[in-house]
Amino acid sequence: MHLMAAVTERAGGRIECSQLYKWFPGGIVLEDINISFESGEFVCIVGPSGCGKTTLLRLLAGLAQPDHGRIAIGGQEVTGPDARIAVVFQHFGLFPWKSVYRNVALPLQLRRSDRDQIEARVHEAITAVGLAGHERKYPAQLSGGMKQRVGLARAIAAAPNVLLMDEPFAAVDAQTREVLQDDLLRLAERLRQTIIFITHSIDEAITLGDRIVVMGRAPGRVVSDLPVPMTKPRTISEVRRHPAYAELRDQIWEQLRGASSM
Amino acid sequence: MTGPVQNMSTSTTQLPSASVGAATAGAKREEIETAIIARQRGRARRDRFVYLTIRIASLLIVLGAWQYYGDHSIGVVFEPITAVVSALWHLITSGQLGPALGYSLWTFALGYLGGLVAGVIVGMCVGVYRIVESAVGLYVYALYATPMVAIAPLLSIWLGFGVLTQEVLIGLFVFFPCLVAVSYGVRNIDTELLEVARSLRMSKRDLWRHVLLPGAAPYVAAGATQGVAMGLVGMFIAEILTQLSGLGDLLETAAQTYHTDQALAVLIVIMFLGVVLRALLTLIQRRVAPWAK
Repeated sequence: MHLMAAVTERAGGRIECSQLYKWFPGGIVLEDINISFESGEFVCIVGPSGCGKTTLLRLLAGLAQPDHGRIAIGGQEVTGPDARIAVVFQHFGLFPWKSVYRNVALPLQLRRSDRDQIEARVHEAITAVGLAGHERKYPAQLSGGMKQRVGLARAIAAAPNVLLMDEPFAAVDAQTREVLQDDLLRLAERLRQTIIFITHSIDEAITLGDRIVVMGRAPGRVVSDLPVPMTKPRTISEVRRHPAYAELRDQIWEQLRGASSM
Repeated sequence: MTGPVQNMSTSTTQLPSASVGAATAGAKREEIETAIIARQRGRARRDRFVYLTIRIASLLIVLGAWQYYGDHSIGVVFEPITAVVSALWHLITSGQLGPALGYSLWTFALGYLGGLVAGVIVGMCVGVYRIVESAVGLYVYALYATPMVAIAPLLSIWLGFGVLTQEVLIGLFVFFPCLVAVSYGVRNIDTELLEVARSLRMSKRDLWRHVLLPGAAPYVAAGATQGVAMGLVGMFIAEILTQLSGLGDLLETAAQTYHTDQALAVLIVIMFLGVVLRALLTLIQRRVAPWAK
């Protein structure tokens, strides 16, 4: 297991966001965000559209800079895109001119890793997301679900400490989404990376997260931070049948409603 | 890229294979499948036949009308297709067409390649670098809006009446559509892909190699294809307006001396040339950018 070994070698470290502020010309987007993510934790961030959750993710990814405050991973400040972080994009972010194999190999190729290592890692990542045998296909030949599997494979092939996922399953149909959720749960159990997963679906957040951060809008801020009581490993159907499920769902729903009516 | 197309067609024509069950049910199912496939193939073949027939009929009607009209009009105004074909044959055998075609094609090739290369390079820079765009964009768009024919007399003053003027004029005809297509293409590369590039910390060199150049390739191909049409226009204008030469000379001379059959023959050669060049470019386009539909 190269991937697992590579991840544990550089054992992640806690991610800390302190007093984050972000302004856009239209006004304040994020106000005084203070959250931390433990190493190996799977945290879902839910919030209505326009609550700044994507902006928060971009700050974590180093794709944008906070106007105030600080983000650190393992005590080391994030000042820009970082090798410790990989992003899974909402619209998959695949290069249409590259085959599945070349898309997944790209981060390693950019690091000038040697050929054998790239091949082994890519093979492992593609197998892990269930796409073995599709290496030579181009993105246009894949379904939405398969495309996002490629996006995921590319992210984990780079063996990052942190996976940032921005509504990764929002662009696929409902059935495919559930299959992807189940597969992600299983994959996360194996890889034990820190995963920060943004979604607007409460169900998805409860299904996947160890913890749920609820965000409110105007200005974007953290409304609450709830632990998910279901133990892992788990599957979607186990979560849905859990006695605490409905109550947790209502609780988050109330908070989201309260936050957006303010 | 016949792969995906084949895959798709097989997946639509083949039903999922029989699951485990009675062998007879499996056999029955297979039989039905084969029948369906056979029927679909038959329908496809019939369709192809119908459309081909229409095509041929249309061609026969047009050629027939041409022949009829040519036969019943004054020779100077129009010539029947048979006369045009024999005029074409005369142009070939008398050794007039060969050198003219050679001259035109060579001039076209040089002008076209020059215009294409320059158009792609400048287009890339205008598309990628905002500095370049704000420095030269104004002139580029102003010149793009200017009919290039208007430049021909000036070019003759500046560069003389030789082949250089013709090449530059063809180049200009090709340059602007290429430039505009490429800069538009580069500017419209998916912003999410640029984010991906940033998150992967690509160097400038890697960005060009993995994102900008391949991203622009379909637009380069489109510009190149459009450039052929524009370049041929430029070629004729150059050969008629600057100094009579090549196919332009052949056409102009034939028309001036009321050899309508020869003029029409030259026109057919040009049509043929345009069609062949475009087909060639479409072929190259599929090779270079197979992912672009």
